[in-house]
Amino acid sequence: MQQHNLTITAKHQPVVLERLLQVTRYRGFNVVGMTMFPVSELEQLTIELSVVSDKSVDNLKNQLLKIIDIEQIKVEDQALQKFMA
Amino acid sequence: MTGAELTLQILQQHGVDSVFGYPGGAIMPLYDAIYDSPIKHFLCRHEQGAAFAAVGYARASKKVGVCLATSGPGATNLITGLADAMSDSVPVVAITGQVPTVAMGSDAFQEVDIIGLSLAVTKHCVQVTNVEDIPTAIEEAISIALSGRMGPVLIDIPKDIQVAETQVGGKGPMNGNGPTAVDCHHDLAIEQAKTLISQAKKPVLYVGGGVGMADAVSELREFSQLSKIPSVSTLKGLGTVAADDEYYLGMLGMHGTKAANYAVQQCDLLIAVGARFDDRVTGKLKEFASNAKVIHFDIDQAEVNKRRLVDVALLGDLKVNLPATAVTTDIAPWQQYCRRMIIDFAWQYDHPGEKIFAPALLNKLSQLMPDTTVVTTDVGQHQMWTAQHMAFAQPENFLSSGGQGAMGFGLPAAIGAQVSRPNDTVIAVSGDGSFMMNVQELATLKRYGIPVKIVLIDNARLGMVRQWQQIFFEERYSETDLSDNPDFVMLAQAFDIKGQVITTKQQVDAALKEMLAHDGPYLLQVRIDELDNVWPLVPPNAANEAMLESVK
Ligand SMILES: Cc1ncc(C[n+]2csc(CCOP(=O)(O)OP(=O)(O)O)c2C)c(N)n1
Repeated sequence: MQQHNLTITAKHQPVVLERLLQVTRYRGFNVVGMTMFPVSELEQLTIELSVVSDKSVDNLKNQLLKIIDIEQIKVEDQALQKFMA
Repeated sequence: MTGAELTLQILQQHGVDSVFGYPGGAIMPLYDAIYDSPIKHFLCRHEQGAAFAAVGYARASKKVGVCLATSGPGATNLITGLADAMSDSVPVVAITGQVPTVAMGSDAFQEVDIIGLSLAVTKHCVQVTNVEDIPTAIEEAISIALSGRMGPVLIDIPKDIQVAETQVGGKGPMNGNGPTAVDCHHDLAIEQAKTLISQAKKPVLYVGGGVGMADAVSELREFSQLSKIPSVSTLKGLGTVAADDEYYLGMLGMHGTKAANYAVQQCDLLIAVGARFDDRVTGKLKEFASNAKVIHFDIDQAEVNKRRLVDVALLGDLKVNLPATAVTTDIAPWQQYCRRMIIDFAWQYDHPGEKIFAPALLNKLSQLMPDTTVVTTDVGQHQMWTAQHMAFAQPENFLSSGGQGAMGFGLPAAIGAQVSRPNDTVIAVSGDGSFMMNVQELATLKRYGIPVKIVLIDNARLGMVRQWQQIFFEERYSETDLSDNPDFVMLAQAFDIKGQVITTKQQVDAALKEMLAHDGPYLLQVRIDELDNVWPLVPPNAANEAMLESVK
């Protein structure tokens, strides 16, 4: 099991949070921490999500990026920091 | 103009001329507007039928399919159709009525949280909260459904928003109906792919449904004509490679041909094009093409490295990436080996006795039907026999529920296909189990005189499940005996549909010809032996070369 921290930028739409959590669970990741706050006058959200799984976090990232209202995802592993798309 | 009128106007501006649905309280304003609209509405007799009809319409025509349902049970009845569209990447827009905004969240009559329910079975879903948002919601839904990897989108519209008056209009069609795809082909990956292809000694082209959906059938055919790489197809890819292509080995996977499965297991380079390494294709994943390098062409980044790590990924539009990587090869011994397998393992249609051999009947039907025919199937043995023994000129001519394997798909999908292609023959090959799952759609055939031909392969069993019980569950035939089926010909007659039942080989030719020549819907019930099985069969969790060819 490895923990990954994802920083997600999303449009502030009503369904985006549920979709994010649904895909995360379905793809086999457990949420162990989450913070969110609106940015740019409520039009965008930043969501910090900590997940654990033995699955590939790249695959999760690619699935999450398919959510229409998610704009960007940055993934950090516990040890090293990787910046992606 | 009301929100309901605006909804129809925007749909119309985007080229939608036919929709499938079922009315009810929360969507009555929209139905009231349909009363005066030039959009043709087809009343299906169950919302699941409407959703599958929209799928059939979309897949046969490559346009967006639209279905409508009321709130609560109407909306929940769409779910299976949406799941099918999600798994098979079909551009469908579902519009559901919702209880009025003031009642929402109060457990109102026929209120269901369809947004919550549809999350897992749609590419995107929105609830409209303001009448002014209708144009954008619909335009975005159509564009999302048709772009990138296509898929279903649901729009939930509360009743008060359907009746609200507004001055806004639509912006008009954006980029029309048709698959659009982001192009991101990378020079380095292209060069790497070309190198791998030209160095391979035993390459195989693994063709999936994505090729047809990307409108890249001719690019794929040119690629394979130039490279002369032997090819195999998934269920959804059938019709992409020409059936008479010299080096086409047939369908691979659980019920694939011996030639296709052996070739893939032995190949040193697997070129996956618009395919996703589904478990029905790969069998035991670890042993699937285990000596092969992999090149993966896809539109969906999330499919790359999902089930199989690849050596080169080519993301983006196949229409661009296939021509960019097409090279000649020098693989004569491998080509000859594959040719040998194609000949040695060709299907045999001789069969002892009087009883009808479904593979031979379907193969005959395939020869008799026009090239432009659309064939849909339900799910089970008849589906696999259709995939094995019929040939399709284009992938949009063969519609089957692939990813979900949803029984009940065949008849309503054929209705949708026939509505989108009124001048082509449409045949639904069904099983006696599956047929009963959306049998109410016979009323839709009757109501609109839709001339779908139904070939009902009747083994008086849930055949595919029975086959598994025979092989893997010690012949314990739990709940798969359907010998108390209704009289299907009489049932068809009740809907003014002509039909006949055949039981012997000598009847086959004449019956198929009569059905094809009949001007209107027709039901041909074909009685077969209840113990007939689909071969080959790769047992669950076995490698694809471990095909069974008889009950041991
Ligand atoms: C909605 C749904 N329920 C159950 C199944 C499981 N299932 C797969 S094939 C099959 C039997 C289908 O019987 P029939 O339609 O008569 O076709 P046959 O296999 O006999 O050709 C069943 C029950 C399914 N695929 N879809």
